[in-house]
Amino acid sequence: MKIFIYCLFTVMLFSCADVSNKSAFTGEAPKHNTAPIGTISSESIYQVTDTFQTQNDTKVTLASFAGKPTVVGMIFTHCTYACPRLTADIKNIEEQLKSANGKVNYLLVSFDSQRDLPDQLQKFANANQLDNNFTLLHGDENTVRTLSVLLNVQFEKDAEGNFSHSNVISVLDKKGALVFQKEGLDADPTDIISSIKQQL
Amino acid sequence: MITTFFCAGNAQKKVVFSGDKMVTVPSGNYQPFFITPNNKPIPVPAFKMDETAVTNAEFLEFVKANPEWRRSKVNRLFADTNYLRHWQSDLSIGESNKKIYNSPVVNVSWFAAEAYCKWKNKKLPTIAQWELAAKAAPKNLKYTSVTDFILDWYTKPNPKVLPNVKSTYQNEYGLYDMNGLIWEWTFNFNSFIASKDSRGNDEDELKNFCAGGALNVADKSDYAAFLRFSYRGSLKGNFCIANLGFRCVKS
Amino acid sequence: MIQISKREPRLKRAILPALLLLSFTFFMSSCKTNSGNNADESKIDTVLTGTVTAELTTAPNVPKPLTYTSPKKVMVTLETIEKVMPISDSSEYTFWTFGGHVPGNFIRVRQGDLVDFTLKNAPDSKMSHSIDLHAVIGPGGGADATSTAPGQSTHFQFRALHPGLFVYHCATGPVPLHIANGMYGLILVEPQGGLPKVDREYYLMQGDFYTKGKYNAPGLQDFDETKALAENPDYVLFNGKVRSTTGPNALQAKVGETVRLFVGNGGPNLVSSFHPIGQIFTKVYMEGGTEVNHDVQTTLIPAGGAAIVEMKMQVPEVINLVDHSIFRAFNKGAIAQIKVTGAENPSVYQKLKP
Repeated sequence: MKIFIYCLFTVMLFSCADVSNKSAFTGEAPKHNTAPIGTISSESIYQVTDTFQTQNDTKVTLASFAGKPTVVGMIFTHCTYACPRLTADIKNIEEQLKSANGKVNYLLVSFDSQRDLPDQLQKFANANQLDNNFTLLHGDENTVRTLSVLLNVQFEKDAEGNFSHSNVISVLDKKGALVFQKEGLDADPTDIISSIKQQL
Repeated sequence: MITTFFCAGNAQKKVVFSGDKMVTVPSGNYQPFFITPNNKPIPVPAFKMDETAVTNAEFLEFVKANPEWRRSKVNRLFADTNYLRHWQSDLSIGESNKKIYNSPVVNVSWFAAEAYCKWKNKKLPTIAQWELAAKAAPKNLKYTSVTDFILDWYTKPNPKVLPNVKSTYQNEYGLYDMNGLIWEWTFNFNSFIASKDSRGNDEDELKNFCAGGALNVADKSDYAAFLRFSYRGSLKGNFCIANLGFRCVKS
Repeated sequence: MIQISKREPRLKRAILPALLLLSFTFFMSSCKTNSGNNADESKIDTVLTGTVTAELTTAPNVPKPLTYTSPKKVMVTLETIEKVMPISDSSEYTFWTFGGHVPGNFIRVRQGDLVDFTLKNAPDSKMSHSIDLHAVIGPGGGADATSTAPGQSTHFQFRALHPGLFVYHCATGPVPLHIANGMYGLILVEPQGGLPKVDREYYLMQGDFYTKGKYNAPGLQDFDETKALAENPDYVLFNGKVRSTTGPNALQAKVGETVRLFVGNGGPNLVSSFHPIGQIFTKVYMEGGTEVNHDVQTTLIPAGGAAIVEMKMQVPEVINLVDHSIFRAFNKGAIAQIKVTGAENPSVYQKLKP
């Protein structure tokens, strides 16, 4: 009986430890490497110097994500079907890469320049329990369109301010070059995960 | 309007410019080609549009002022290996290419077109703006309908020498060659969210699109529009193609 | 000791049921369908034993029968080319093509092959193009992966799971226009073991064309969308041109030979009633599939479909191959010919005095 209690206690301890690592909704900005220009390759998407705002209302350029492989998805928060699924797919990838926690960036960029301002992005992050590895980005129309072209994502705004868009999960290497993409929802993430592992 | 005369030996320095003439396109409603679930037309406020497509001569000025957009320097992420391949060199269209100094510049990518328009404090037109501008009836066109004229152009091969701007037709807004010379880049060319195979009835594809599938077409017999949208759907941002150029707009 | 006699009645009693059982087993096994090679995937060897480049031919020629006996990776590249060519003696038309001719190149692979397919679009094309091969099981038959802008190329692979003669065509919107302008061809997936040997094989593909001007009007003709919607063509042709396969261009054969025709119908609209005047199809692989019919006078080839037909050359003659919706043959160009040479064969056919 004693042994059982000790085991139980140990298990509880470790599970608590897990939770504290993934401190959701603390509002802390994830730490980025502000990488010097030399670590961005000529194929890197990070060569685009447009400014985004994060869910914490911090100004960033894409170059600040250099140094770690990055998983990118494009969504908008008022989306009722596909975007929650895409977000869940990316969360699932993060879950399966638990061992690499903190070594991979997860980016969600919003199509919705008008409505997805930083506080709206923060609400979305909270509602979807996205941890510190996730950065949500707001950009102006030109900035977002440029990124979508670079990532081969199709999207369009309708008369009601909602978006039709393709669903693509992209993997960028540490220097920001696009190395892998997969289109579609609820897709098997095995090849995405192995691509990320190759970049670690 | 800047006009100077051709000087045979000095063609690079003195060229005929169409200038920065822009015309006003009045506000209107754009009915999307692909039927959306609410199927509402999109209101487009009035805007100004370049009277003609951007020419080789005009683009040369841009390249001179922006070294990162020269052919030998440009980043492949932003322009593929066909970028300005019809020019003689980085800063020369070429003596032998005199005939096309005032023809639309082609072999330029979306990124290059965007950069040019930004340099001029303008923008690329959205699809809604472009389609609205292109719908205006032609003046003095010997065709039964614009669709006929467009289909006719679409089904003819590319000419060996691309004619100058203003060589096809002018429309009611004063715009030249909206059809008949080149395809033109639009700001949101990557909005063709249907699957690339345009035949399907993809109910399952609904999963993929937030605002619903955009696969049904408003007018399936408008082959001209169909071809235009299919063409846009095959493009990537860094593609440089021999029959694809652009013009800019200003709000 | 002769003990057998005592056992005999028991043996006899055992033999009858045994025989019954045996014959029942034989009966059941022979009932298994014999009509050719169904795509039972468990039987297809998916291990590839090498890479080959497909031999591509221009109609009316067909690539040689394949001789390998295990699946290969087959490299195929097609280029889409827009080209003005004569459609009749006086008329020209802007054709959109696979390979620079109508129909497109003939592709020949074997069931089980993995086809590595590259589609290129010529740099001076006006349009973007794609491909849907009816032999492909996958989104759009390949169209989803091959939307190709001018000067670009796309790439995908597919397994030839099923044998048969399949149409391929461009699937870029508006699809009917791309097909109407000539963007179709055939891909043959040989069954395992190949097709039975014949003396000659040829390739024909029917298509209907719609022009603003009348049949054989002089000059470059434009596509007529109104006629196309009404399914009222000016031309119904084999291999994209009036008289493409007649007279000096007729197919050749000799008395005594067995000739096989791979016949496709690109449409876009019309179904063909394919008939050999002066001959009978000894074999028809109906709709290009696995079932074989025999002794057929006229076979239907659906739009977007195909048939494999065979004939035994018995007498010297000119065989006129027609679409037996006969105004098409007479007035719109739907005739091809096989010129058969050799010794007369009076026991089969002889003209007599009145």
